[in-house]
Amino acid sequence: MTDKYLIEPDVNFINDVAGLGGDTLKKCFQCATCSVVCPISPDTKPFPRKEMIAASWGLKDRVIKNADIWLCHNCGDCSTKCPRGARPGDVLGALRSIAISEYAVPKGLGKMVNDPKKLPILILIPAIIFIVLGLATGFLNFSPEPGKIAHTKFFSTWLVDMIFVPLSLWVVVIFGMGVKKFLNDIHQDAVSNGKTNKKELDIKEFLSSIVKVLPMILKHEKFNKCVENKERSTAHMMVLFSFLGLAVVTGVFFVYLYILHVEGPYAQINPVKWLANISGIALIAGGFLMIQSRMNNKDQVTSYKDWYLIGLVLGLGLTGMLTEITRLAHLAGVSYALYFIHLIFVFNLFAFLPFSKLAHFVYRTVALGYAEYSNRQ
Amino acid sequence: MNKKYGVYICTGCGIGEALDIDKLSGVPKEEGIGIVKTHPFLCSKEGVELLKQDIAGEGVNALVIAACSRRVNFDIFRFDGCIVDRVNLREQVVWTHPSTKNAEGGIDHIQMMAEDYLKMGVIKTQKITLPEPYKLDAFCRKILVIGGGIAGISAALDAAKAGYEVTIVEKESSIGGYAAKVRKQLPVENPFENIIPPVISAKIKELESFSNITVKTNTVVARIAGQPGDFTVTLKKPGDKIEFDVPFPLPAEMKVDETGKEYDKEKLIELYKEYNQGRVDILSFDPNGEKFGAVILAAGWRPYKAKENEFAHLGFGTIPDVVTNVQFEELAVKGKITRPSDGKEAKSVVFIQSPGQGGNDNDFSFCGSVTSMVSLKQAKYVREDYSDSKAYIFYQHMRTPGLMENFYKSLQQDAGIFLTKGEVVSVSKNGDGMIVEADNTLLGEKIKVKADMVVLATGMVPVTADDPVINLAYRQGPGFRDIALFDNYTDSNFICFPYETQRTGVYAAGCIRRSMTMEETIEDSAGAALKAIQCIESSNRGVSVHPRSGDMTFPDFFFQRCTQCKRCTEECPFGALDDDEKGTPKPNPTRCRRCGTCMGACPERIIGFADYNIDSVGSMVKAIGVPSENDFDEPPLRILGIVCENDAYPALDMAGMNRLTYPHIVRFVPVRCLGSTNVIWIKDALSQGMDGVFLLGCKHGDDYQCHFVKGSELASIRMKKIGEALQSLALENERVAQFEVAIDEYDKIPKIIGDFVDIIEGLGPNPFKGF
Repeated sequence: MTDKYLIEPDVNFINDVAGLGGDTLKKCFQCATCSVVCPISPDTKPFPRKEMIAASWGLKDRVIKNADIWLCHNCGDCSTKCPRGARPGDVLGALRSIAISEYAVPKGLGKMVNDPKKLPILILIPAIIFIVLGLATGFLNFSPEPGKIAHTKFFSTWLVDMIFVPLSLWVVVIFGMGVKKFLNDIHQDAVSNGKTNKKELDIKEFLSSIVKVLPMILKHEKFNKCVENKERSTAHMMVLFSFLGLAVVTGVFFVYLYILHVEGPYAQINPVKWLANISGIALIAGGFLMIQSRMNNKDQVTSYKDWYLIGLVLGLGLTGMLTEITRLAHLAGVSYALYFIHLIFVFNLFAFLPFSKLAHFVYRTVALGYAEYSNRQ
Repeated sequence: MNKKYGVYICTGCGIGEALDIDKLSGVPKEEGIGIVKTHPFLCSKEGVELLKQDIAGEGVNALVIAACSRRVNFDIFRFDGCIVDRVNLREQVVWTHPSTKNAEGGIDHIQMMAEDYLKMGVIKTQKITLPEPYKLDAFCRKILVIGGGIAGISAALDAAKAGYEVTIVEKESSIGGYAAKVRKQLPVENPFENIIPPVISAKIKELESFSNITVKTNTVVARIAGQPGDFTVTLKKPGDKIEFDVPFPLPAEMKVDETGKEYDKEKLIELYKEYNQGRVDILSFDPNGEKFGAVILAAGWRPYKAKENEFAHLGFGTIPDVVTNVQFEELAVKGKITRPSDGKEAKSVVFIQSPGQGGNDNDFSFCGSVTSMVSLKQAKYVREDYSDSKAYIFYQHMRTPGLMENFYKSLQQDAGIFLTKGEVVSVSKNGDGMIVEADNTLLGEKIKVKADMVVLATGMVPVTADDPVINLAYRQGPGFRDIALFDNYTDSNFICFPYETQRTGVYAAGCIRRSMTMEETIEDSAGAALKAIQCIESSNRGVSVHPRSGDMTFPDFFFQRCTQCKRCTEECPFGALDDDEKGTPKPNPTRCRRCGTCMGACPERIIGFADYNIDSVGSMVKAIGVPSENDFDEPPLRILGIVCENDAYPALDMAGMNRLTYPHIVRFVPVRCLGSTNVIWIKDALSQGMDGVFLLGCKHGDDYQCHFVKGSELASIRMKKIGEALQSLALENERVAQFEVAIDEYDKIPKIIGDFVDIIEGLGPNPFKGF
């Protein structure tokens, strides 16, 4: 039987945290200023003080399986106020990144997503799939017939859906597996650390808690409590809502195409198109705001995982909007090329969703729901 | 010396407005002093010129300057070859009391006060003489350094660089001490981040280049006789028994018979000789002894020895892989760290800073910041030896003072070093390793870690805990008195005078004073070397070293009237007196700090200084006018305040500067130390009709602040005894009291004095008034 109190520090884990932007971890001298200044940390068993020592002692399980690292919104109040420059905000960011990799299979893919050297591969994968599958099926036509520009002439919607529908299902499965394990882990952690009064995990009640916290998440209520980097909340909200908008647009046009059999491109006066354009602009604006706030913030480290996601967001928005603009400007070749690039961004976003920082929308939602469900004590 | 007196009254700083200066000028004239002058600004160029003219032209050589406190403008009013007394009209009279020049009822209290003080100044000037320095017949400028570790070597180097001849004695066969026995050491210079190779080898090398440094290994001090500037030192091999081994005083329990009665003098001498058989008395000097001028005591520390089962819960003594920090260092010097039990690589090492148990968070005895930092250093050894190693430090206190915080920060960065506050509960065997269990850690709960080795941060004990080391041939004994108060660290007044010991001419450096890092030790040694040089360069001119630096006076004994009561020998806080078989004290003036405790102790009143003696102070007391019913319907009371000039007098001055007031019926007489207060002054004051006497001086007891260590304490003992004398005179005990005040507590002065005056007023006037 393993002794609950016996601990064996994992030095590799400490080095991993350091490599993901948490290199200040060991500067912590446990004064708990971070826990005091954090506007969203609970009064009992507050974070991030305890996470800081557990991580600096290399106690991976204690931090990865701990829902508290997800309650943090990385607003950076703690890092600004830390007297030793230990930047708890960044350390928690690094811990979340490790947690994401830990819960997503295959783990090799997770490593690639966090490794800047593997970026060309991540770009090549969709390009190769598109070309191989497109040429094999004939749905990719490198000499689309001239006239009115319709991207389906170049990259058939069949090909798009042939790739992205299974991809979405794959992502859902990976997330499903990860979340199941995650939920069990955080529950066990909460029980053994006395953070909850619930003994057994009741999935139905948990799901209704998720529904309860959704408005709070959408309104960024927690995020807005941050003091030091308040403006980040705006950018985040813009990006989040533009993704939601684009999801709605995709859904509606899916119906248009397969049920109503109306093929795109759709008219600019179509209200759905308005939503699409507004969302696209918001995505780009939000992306730029994020870059600006990260560049201006001296207390916060921006590591590769952050740039990867911001790059993805911005690339997605820019290529999308430019594809549309060039189409309206009748620049067929440019527009088709941009569309191809845009799809590579989309692929990256979707396929690596469970492995990238973007996965936080799932884990944080689950953690917030769990905190609500478990009456976090 | 034929004295020609001159009294000079300054009327500046409010003195002229508050007092009737013409009337005041009449006071010295009544005493027959011809030259009485006033000046509106005596400390100005013109004022000083006036004084100089009188000195040169009129031959004035005894000046009474009635102006400000003697603690200010002392350099302006210093005239070589002249006696100068300062009457403090400013801080003690006009700044602390509103003028009563035009008071209703006609009694000008403040004028009376000023006149009293002026009379006291005049009489004092009449009673004292100019001091002449005490010169030793033979004088030696060599410095003896006891201990050849990093402290001794550093001190020797510093003294040698200043041009002094130095001899280092080291009991071991080679110098270097503990500093030469470590693998690496704590940083000694910026940026204070990493452990460094020991600096001692470079120091030893440097030492060899100095021809004025002699090193004697395998040598200890048998005795140091004589006094600063003329010490006669007998050296010997460790363990040798020689006739010049220092004799010890009889322990208290051997001085009394079975009934508890002290033996008579002859019997005591007999017992003393028996007790010290084979050793010659302290008064016989070794004809082959080596001469030295001053001594630096740098004998250092030894590792703490655990009592049996003291750390049994930590496995110490039962598990061979539980060692002390010193034992761990020995292993580290040999090479990569391996377990003592089986020679296996020690890759997981737990460093324990506090023994725990009993619910207290005390560190190991004799621990301090050094042991904290040594743990960090040794944790680094573990990390350097094996890349996959782990070092844990469980502490209750992690002390890394000053820039050593950089060291802590840098060590903290090591991914394999784990630090937590926590109480270590137990160390138990686990297979061939151990499990260390700690409670209340920063990790929020009990934790257990696996360990290959456990290291206890036991402390550094000053060697003076075991042995006097210094072996002074002093009547009060070979070591330092009462250092148990400081856990046997060699110390006398830690806050104010860190390098001073209780023996003039002996200066402590390094870990014998408190546990220190090598960096601190090097700096400390420079301090001790400078003190030793100061001692030599003061004793050679016949002036006091410390704290009355430059004081040319020394106690003079009128031996014809000595009753050999030994009180002076026993009470001297610095062991300056060695009595002979008969009990006649033998003064050693360069050991003396001029506090006058002997003068206060002497029942025969045969001890005094040129400018400070029983008669001079007694006459000042008698000069205070005591109003009686012959002159007043309701004569105002008079209270004498005997104030220590080190803390109490400056506090009074500060009260004046802050314009605090206190009752005008008090007259102050400054004393060098309350210990110099002779009870005759108090008796005189009371028998001349004064209504009360209080002593105002430093705090005494375990955390004393007395400049002379014992002065205020001895005074308090004498005050208790005077109570009996008062009762026999039918006077109330309450008429004599002693109060403590620190130099910064000037704000308490009005209450202290006010409360005492209330008590005296409650008791009513002294019945002896007017007799």
